[in-house]
Amino acid sequence: TAMAGMKTASGDYIDSSWELRVFVGEEDPEAESVTLRVTGESHIGGVLLKIVEDINRKQDWSDHAIWWEQKRQWLLQTHWTLDKYGILADARLFFGPQHRPVILRLPNRRALRLRASFSQPLFQAVAAICRLLSIRHPEELSLLRAPEKKKKKKEKEQEEEVYDLTQVVLAGGEHRLGQLGPGLGMGLVTPTLHSRRGTGMPAHFSDSAQTEACYHMLSRPQPPPDPLLLQHLPRPSSLVDKTQLHSRWLDSSRCLMQQGVRAGDVLWLRFKYYSFFDLDPKTDPVRLTQLYEQARWDLLLEEIDCTEEEMMVFAALQYHVNKLSQSGEVAEPAGADPGLDDLDAALSNLEVKLEGSAPTDVLDSLTTIPELKDHLRIFRPRKLTLKGYRQHWVVFKETTLSYYKSQEEAPGDPIQQLNLKGCEVVPDVNVSGQKFCIKLLVPSPEGMSEIYLRCQDEQQYARWMAGCRLASKGRTMADSSYASEVQAILAFLSLKRTGGGSSGNQPQGPDASTEGLNPYGLVAPRLQRKFKAKQLTPRILEAHQNVAQLSLTEAQLRFIQAWQSLPDFGISYFTVRFKGSRKDEILGIANNRLIRIDLAVGDVVKTWRFSNMRQWNVNWDIRQVAIEFDEHINVAFSCVSASCRIVHEYIGGYIFLSTRERARGEELDEDLFLQLTGGHEAF
Amino acid sequence: MGESSEDIDQMFSTLLGEMDLLTQSLGVDILPPPDPKPPRAEFNYSVGFKDLNESLNALEDQDLDALMADLVADISEAEQRTIQAQKESSQSQHHSAPPEASNFRGAASLGYSANAAAASVSHYEHHLPPPPADPVLDLPPPPPPPPPEPLSQEEEEAQAKADKIKLALEKLKEAKVKKLVVKVHMNDNSTKSLMVDERQAARDVLDNLFEKTHCDCNVDWCLYETYPELQIERFFEDHENVVEVLSDWTRDTENKVLFLEKEEKYAVFKNPQNFYLNNKGKKEGKETNEKMNAKNKESLLEESFCGTSIIVPELEGALYLKEDGKKSWKRRYFLLRASGIYYVPKGKTKTSRDLACFIQFENVNIYYGIQCKIKHKAPTDHCFVLKHPQIQKESQYIKYLCCDDARTLNQWVMGIRIAKYGKTLYDNYQRAMARAGLASRWTNLGTVNATTPAQPSTGTRGEIPTHTELRSYVQSLSNTFSESRPPMASSSDKKPALGNHLEPGAPRAQPLPKASLPPPPPVRRSSDLGCSPAPPPK
Repeated sequence: TAMAGMKTASGDYIDSSWELRVFVGEEDPEAESVTLRVTGESHIGGVLLKIVEDINRKQDWSDHAIWWEQKRQWLLQTHWTLDKYGILADARLFFGPQHRPVILRLPNRRALRLRASFSQPLFQAVAAICRLLSIRHPEELSLLRAPEKKKKKKEKEQEEEVYDLTQVVLAGGEHRLGQLGPGLGMGLVTPTLHSRRGTGMPAHFSDSAQTEACYHMLSRPQPPPDPLLLQHLPRPSSLVDKTQLHSRWLDSSRCLMQQGVRAGDVLWLRFKYYSFFDLDPKTDPVRLTQLYEQARWDLLLEEIDCTEEEMMVFAALQYHVNKLSQSGEVAEPAGADPGLDDLDAALSNLEVKLEGSAPTDVLDSLTTIPELKDHLRIFRPRKLTLKGYRQHWVVFKETTLSYYKSQEEAPGDPIQQLNLKGCEVVPDVNVSGQKFCIKLLVPSPEGMSEIYLRCQDEQQYARWMAGCRLASKGRTMADSSYASEVQAILAFLSLKRTGGGSSGNQPQGPDASTEGLNPYGLVAPRLQRKFKAKQLTPRILEAHQNVAQLSLTEAQLRFIQAWQSLPDFGISYFTVRFKGSRKDEILGIANNRLIRIDLAVGDVVKTWRFSNMRQWNVNWDIRQVAIEFDEHINVAFSCVSASCRIVHEYIGGYIFLSTRERARGEELDEDLFLQLTGGHEAF
Repeated sequence: MGESSEDIDQMFSTLLGEMDLLTQSLGVDILPPPDPKPPRAEFNYSVGFKDLNESLNALEDQDLDALMADLVADISEAEQRTIQAQKESSQSQHHSAPPEASNFRGAASLGYSANAAAASVSHYEHHLPPPPADPVLDLPPPPPPPPPEPLSQEEEEAQAKADKIKLALEKLKEAKVKKLVVKVHMNDNSTKSLMVDERQAARDVLDNLFEKTHCDCNVDWCLYETYPELQIERFFEDHENVVEVLSDWTRDTENKVLFLEKEEKYAVFKNPQNFYLNNKGKKEGKETNEKMNAKNKESLLEESFCGTSIIVPELEGALYLKEDGKKSWKRRYFLLRASGIYYVPKGKTKTSRDLACFIQFENVNIYYGIQCKIKHKAPTDHCFVLKHPQIQKESQYIKYLCCDDARTLNQWVMGIRIAKYGKTLYDNYQRAMARAGLASRWTNLGTVNATTPAQPSTGTRGEIPTHTELRSYVQSLSNTFSESRPPMASSSDKKPALGNHLEPGAPRAQPLPKASLPPPPPVRRSSDLGCSPAPPPK
């Protein structure tokens, strides 16, 4: 046998025992080691006990297990014998902790040190991480290797704050169960929510001020990045560049140890599958925020393209989100208005039926609808006119604007009267130039009439602008949102002032000292090059008026929705070579389809939907994925930019998520569900 | 005669509902018609179909009687109602009054009442619980008041009529709910007059019309507005507020409201593949389209309309754009996105960053252009038009676009509606389906059921036939399962690969996450066949 000739210390060959050397520690060749006397019949559990006895040190060993280096395998089955594992004396074994610290780069780009399982399949390890971070639906996330650093200065990163959750142990206590095998550690104990102050913070974050700060980092949106930094971060310039990211995904079915990850390594945590199930702002503050952050960085770093108009909306939402989260009014989940929690309902109620408020309100407000009366300069652009702004006495009542030659004529017939309901309101502002104009496009049966109102200062502008905006939506200044609208406009104007409007073309580094924002931090760098800050702000301001009334979570959700509405949303790119083709092409994988894309032009060549998919196979030998669709359509390709395992897992992952989707209706009609999803007897 | 009296009856049953919550509604807008002398025509609040006074005058005399009787009954009822406005839900049964009472109940549950009173509960309007309006059973309900039929002396008549109008107006004023009498043109060139109040959505008006006409109530029925002057037309979306739309019409308008069937209205929900799976190869696409089974349609719809955000169909192509103020048309490459219509500027590519925004949908409605070839010298007659709803006359602010063929036109119009209205469109459809008696479980709308009990089965005998219908549908579906089941994974590995060292050459497939997650993973098939895809299932 393999044991023949083994010499033991006592020289006794009869019991067929032999010496097994086990290093203590994490794959460190210098590590101390213990030598045990074992037989092939020894159980792993017994070996573990012996090791601990041998080390003879008071310590919690419960998380320790044996890693077999040559086979890249954990010996987690404590009832298995060495023979069963096939371990001989030459095995290099390490007795080390199953959970080890790693630095996670979160979707919000912040760094967080925590203990991750190095022995469970990554899928479970990620689930545990998400439980710790209190992110539901961990199946949507996964880990990537960090990209290799280019050796370039970057001393800055040294100063970066790394949050630490390594000391936090979940109530489920999986850290202590490690020794007993991976299955037991999966106790799905939901972390209890911390109800104190109604922050919705899970209890395990309340251990210390540090962990509490960590929760805030997780659950609150980060301020906009420094525009200069933004310019220097790598951005994909082509589809091929976009494939790079996806070559770095770790395998879900193998543990970190098996994938060569070492303690202290940096890993990225990202939403991998763009199919976000049951996104609930109420219960998901961390998930929502991190998703928002991933979406935001996707846009800022041009991982996903959008139009200028869309970018302005994204910028306005970022501005708004930042303002709300800076102002600290984060306690909104527990906030006064439970109706606001149901976001969509609240939104539509607001927009659709504002008039429908309580009858008493209407009656009260009837008597006290505020008016605006003032001298404003008015300009009506017409063909063949040389007239510029003329001073008028302007009265703004309900949704109607009337103007007169002078105040004295006011009770009489106005020169013109405009009902602003349904009109377009466009800010035309230049703070440094002290220009505060409101451009109105007022619809009438004949078309749109254009009119400019010029205000003297920001105060006046904010009041009239807010009135115009409300009126365009059919609301009056009696509306409860009027005051906050005025404030929002003023706040935005102050942004504009500090936003480098005067500092010209280049983003001048971090404007962080001021309370305002640099608008360049809100848009992709390509727009930094295209627009001056003072051109950018009014456009953001314009987009902002449609979102100014949103709460923090609403704004985040709106951002995510707008992101999801982009045509290229949720496509993960891979370079592949289709069978029978001689050139590289791009394969896009989305949550419902595969897309064949011309690498050079970027055009979609062909789309296959998962719903038409029958099966798929991987030939690991030639790294080829073969897929069969309905009607005997067969597609095969080999993977170039990433391992075909990653491609394959992406596809399988989306299929999995889609069954999850269907399961939603399960409680309602299980039979129908089974009828529709079953049927494999047929094969 | 028969028809018109029925017509009127129905109108009154409608009226009854309107008195509901009089004081709670806007209150501000007193009936527009009687005397508003707006300072300037331009800003004038103008009502279509002349004004109410005129429209009342246009009514048949007996209509007036009925109207009056209803109003009176109505007002008194309304008074009672305001007293107990809080407990409106149980209300209906208490009224033992005339036949109107039952009508009233139906109308009262239009959903707006719940909305206004329970605003703080954030009741979502499109939530469906409110049963469809007006389940009036007694189909030809006898006109409540004894019809005075001594019509002999014209003067007396005229006098009486004037009085009645006056009284009616007063009552209406009291009600403080803006109402319009809308003349709806039927398919057969007849018309019906309806009272529409400012809280009613097109859906409610359609429901009223269903009762009046005894049509089959299918989802294609719609309210349709036509602009003879501009030669454009469009359907009302079911959620749109009818009075609001009509308020944009000018006083002397020729615009009309039609009641007709348009299969384009919900075409996307019947055959989503025609809009969402419009793959490049047009011919090929069309062929496979026809074949898509119900299950796939359903999942396509769910995917497109039930996610966190809706998916707007991918749509792009060359269209002709009418140049502002000219009769010339320019061909440009347009793309539809959720945020608006874009075009590719000269010398640019169609990547997102290069696109120029043509129009956003917030302030415009979409219309079909009629006979644009003649009127505007369009290259084809397949035109669509975008304009602000308030614009009623030819203007440079009206955008005309022209497609090569009808299919393209329909795709654009539908795509724009989806981008503009989003999920609401789908909600409308499901409501229309429920109304059509096809409460369907596979549309994944649990609340549909809630509406059915309240639907007291006139023609559409409620739930039962529906379900059997669905069942048999499902049965037939099962034959096509092979096409619709989730793709299965085949594997030649028998154990879950402990070593994780893949034997080279052994094709291994689908190590789906072996997680303990709730939903069953997709079918995982073990086959001992070596390489190569598993044989086609037979």
